[in-house]
Amino acid sequence: MNREVFDTLRAYLQEALRLHGDTQELADGDSLFLSGRLDSFSMMNLILFLETAFALTFSDLEFDVEKVDSLNAIAALVHAKS
Amino acid sequence: MNPPSAAQTAPPSTPSKAQTDPLRQWLAIEQSERLVAFAQTASGKFCLYGIAYLAVLPLLSAWTAALCVTAAWAVMAYADQRARILFMASWGLTLFEAATDDNDFAEKIQYVMAQEHYLLLSPELLAVGALLMMMAGLWLAMQHAISRPDGLLSRRPFVCMLAVEVALLVLSAPQVDHGLLRVLAWSMLVVFTPFVWFFPLAIADLRGRAADPPAMQMAVQRPFWSHNYLPFGKGAGYLRKHFSPLPREQAITHIKGVKLLLWANFLLLLSQVLTWFFSDYLALPRLINAIDAFVEGQPLPIATGWEVLIYGTFRYALQIAIWAHLFIGLARMAGYRLPRGSWRPLESRTLMEYFNRFHFYFKEILVDLFFIPTFFKVFRQHPRLRMFTATFMAAGVGNALWHFMADIHLIAVEGLWGAISSFSSYLFYSFVLAIGVGLSQVRASMGYRPSATLAGRLYAFLFIWSFVVLLRVFSDGTRDHTFEQRLRFLLSLFGLN
Repeated sequence: MNREVFDTLRAYLQEALRLHGDTQELADGDSLFLSGRLDSFSMMNLILFLETAFALTFSDLEFDVEKVDSLNAIAALVHAKS
Repeated sequence: MNPPSAAQTAPPSTPSKAQTDPLRQWLAIEQSERLVAFAQTASGKFCLYGIAYLAVLPLLSAWTAALCVTAAWAVMAYADQRARILFMASWGLTLFEAATDDNDFAEKIQYVMAQEHYLLLSPELLAVGALLMMMAGLWLAMQHAISRPDGLLSRRPFVCMLAVEVALLVLSAPQVDHGLLRVLAWSMLVVFTPFVWFFPLAIADLRGRAADPPAMQMAVQRPFWSHNYLPFGKGAGYLRKHFSPLPREQAITHIKGVKLLLWANFLLLLSQVLTWFFSDYLALPRLINAIDAFVEGQPLPIATGWEVLIYGTFRYALQIAIWAHLFIGLARMAGYRLPRGSWRPLESRTLMEYFNRFHFYFKEILVDLFFIPTFFKVFRQHPRLRMFTATFMAAGVGNALWHFMADIHLIAVEGLWGAISSFSSYLFYSFVLAIGVGLSQVRASMGYRPSATLAGRLYAFLFIWSFVVLLRVFSDGTRDHTFEQRLRFLLSLFGLN
């Protein structure tokens, strides 16, 4: 996995968490959405970010929250789709 | 999968705050290892379910409370059989309620029976018959979706459900049918309508690789803990992700369930005290009566009008919280560690956050069925417009459609045009709310962040709750006053005629 991609994602997610008043440490496998740390609107903002920063495209039929529920999962998704 | 369940998220939490607040620490009894250990013993479970039953009693009938708490216990005690138990409890309760007097289905069926002078079968029997037919229909539809994963039903289940709704509406129109045929079509429409909001979640989950079997999908169509038009706990996919069979996790979930049920009771008590003080002691009328008085040319003093409006809004917020806590508390007693249905809405700092916190599962179903499909389809090259449109579809179109369909019987009473016409003030409310939430969402996506200072929080509170209170004039759920009457009432509160 590209370290730069991982760091970019981590920075984005930590900022999103901070804006939700969540200053806890973010571990690579921590659940973001299913655990309630971030909400569904934050998820859509994340999708926008992934589309813009990594030129990915998503469709609603293939979309699954588990694919973006942790830093590891998002990084794997970016890797798979790039 | 798994599109409609894509927004499987929870209200925002603030862990750092919870960890530092002494009151919250004291209330976090599920963190006590002694209590968690006790909750895993037979006597601990007996205590927890006993308290749960007593906590549910003020809100449900004794029979329903007993059935719900027993079913929750059975799901916990026989976790390997939970699909079967959930199925029996959910559909058993649905059929039992439909067969008894004064139930919602039978009441709505009666309108058309009276119009058609049809007395041969009782409305309860028609409701039960229609439900059994619909069960079979849903099962067949699920099998069809499994066998044809690329078919329209599998890809667009919500659109298909709406199409069936419209078809039943047409078939039950007085211009199309009369007599028994119309009564039957109307009965099907009445019992089918709530499932429009549940069934798409099942089909969406079935598209996934780790989907629950159809029996489990059927079991959580209007699960026993929330017998209404809104999927508290969403579908089988969401429930699966919030279920842990480990005894310790289960014990914590049960303690959190009991806490939520007790909290619902506290809010109920608060609501009753407020009713006594404002309605009985101060003789403050309800909002609908205040608008009545205004329309009849005997308006209340302006200050009293504001008191009515603010109190009415607060009371409504309490009602939402009480019922949401009841439903989620029961689901937790069944072992599902679901996020709360209403999560400190007074702490919201933006309209978007308010929409998320106030009625979480309502927002979730709107996000799943309206926001996400729109978001992935339109204005991909224009992020702000894309976000705004998707939010508008959820908070505006979805919101209005859900409320219109919840009162579907008014089409029989007032005719289609009459029902739409009397809905105009709620349409206005949905439109303004959608604009507000949409703009709030766009601002957030542009990087705007609310101030965290005391003044900033106070400003956010006043802004959000002024917005909500003003809109309450148009969203109180009754159809007794026209949009114009409500608007004039609101203007009168500012001294404008």
